[in-house]
Amino acid sequence: MKAKNGISKGEKKVKGGKLIKCEIEVEGRKIKEIKFTGDFFIHPEEMLEKLEENLRGKNIEEAEEIINSFFENIEGIGVAADDFIEVLKKAVIS
Amino acid sequence: MKFRLIIHGYRNAYENMAIDEALLLSGKPTLRFYKWKPSAISIGYFQSIKNEVNLELCERQGVDVVRRITGGGAVYHDSEGEITYSFVCPQHFMPEKILESYKIICGALARGLKKIGLEAEQAGINDIVVDGKKISGSAQTRKYGNILQHGTLLLQVNVRKMFSLLKVSKEKISDKNIKSVEERVTSIEKEIGKISDEEIIKALIEGFKEKLSIEFKEEGIGEEETEIARKLVKKYESKEWNFKR
Repeated sequence: MKAKNGISKGEKKVKGGKLIKCEIEVEGRKIKEIKFTGDFFIHPEEMLEKLEENLRGKNIEEAEEIINSFFENIEGIGVAADDFIEVLKKAVIS
Repeated sequence: MKFRLIIHGYRNAYENMAIDEALLLSGKPTLRFYKWKPSAISIGYFQSIKNEVNLELCERQGVDVVRRITGGGAVYHDSEGEITYSFVCPQHFMPEKILESYKIICGALARGLKKIGLEAEQAGINDIVVDGKKISGSAQTRKYGNILQHGTLLLQVNVRKMFSLLKVSKEKISDKNIKSVEERVTSIEKEIGKISDEEIIKALIEGFKEKLSIEFKEEGIGEEETEIARKLVKKYESKEWNFKR
């Protein structure tokens, strides 16, 4: 993943029609700020905030593993860890 | 098994969402019907209010905007254009799998709609369609060991108004696209003409009775629930909550 500094955005429409958007601010290789938004379903809902909290301050290379391990405790309806990883990657290289 | 039936008329968006959350907290098996006055937009828990809603126009037209505790998309709740339901029960009443419980609750709604002559069926995860056109959408959350599922049933539909209040891209707002959305969405009025809310609610209740083998007793919300809802209204009115994403 090649990152540039500043806020960048990515989005993905997943199969079934749900939209995931990611807004990310990267400083060097570190995630300074990150937010996922969209019309998807995740249970429990608050886990998404925990995921974002966990991603802050981490290197973008670590993001994939963090998202994957979070999804072990999250039930996504029509969305999966891979969708979040893809949208994050899209945002980083946008 | 006995469920409580609550038939609420009009309330504003903040009260409606506060009551649904108070019911979820209590977990008392309940089916509630309600409407929205003023008309309002509710956005899904994960949506960005600024990205989804034309806030300026909503303010000018007196349309309230509220964030739900459930995921999913933005919904325009027209005062006269829809009936909303909420369904609450302890989690162990329903299958562990969320998709399965959507099927049961949406199946009950579809069964009810059949009683007023609609060829309704569950579609996708959380929709009900008539002849392939969407007439109802729902969203579910699970908290405190309980389940809340709420959703809308369209009585009338005004795609142009809905699109003006939501941030829909310029291409999407074209006449051609509005027509294509109009072709994918339907309403009770479009399908069978005007019938009273009471008749619709009665049919839906029958659908739930049959699908879930339950009985209903009409009641109000409890004192404790009222007190909790009163406090929760403040959350739903707050910028902190509505603008959190």
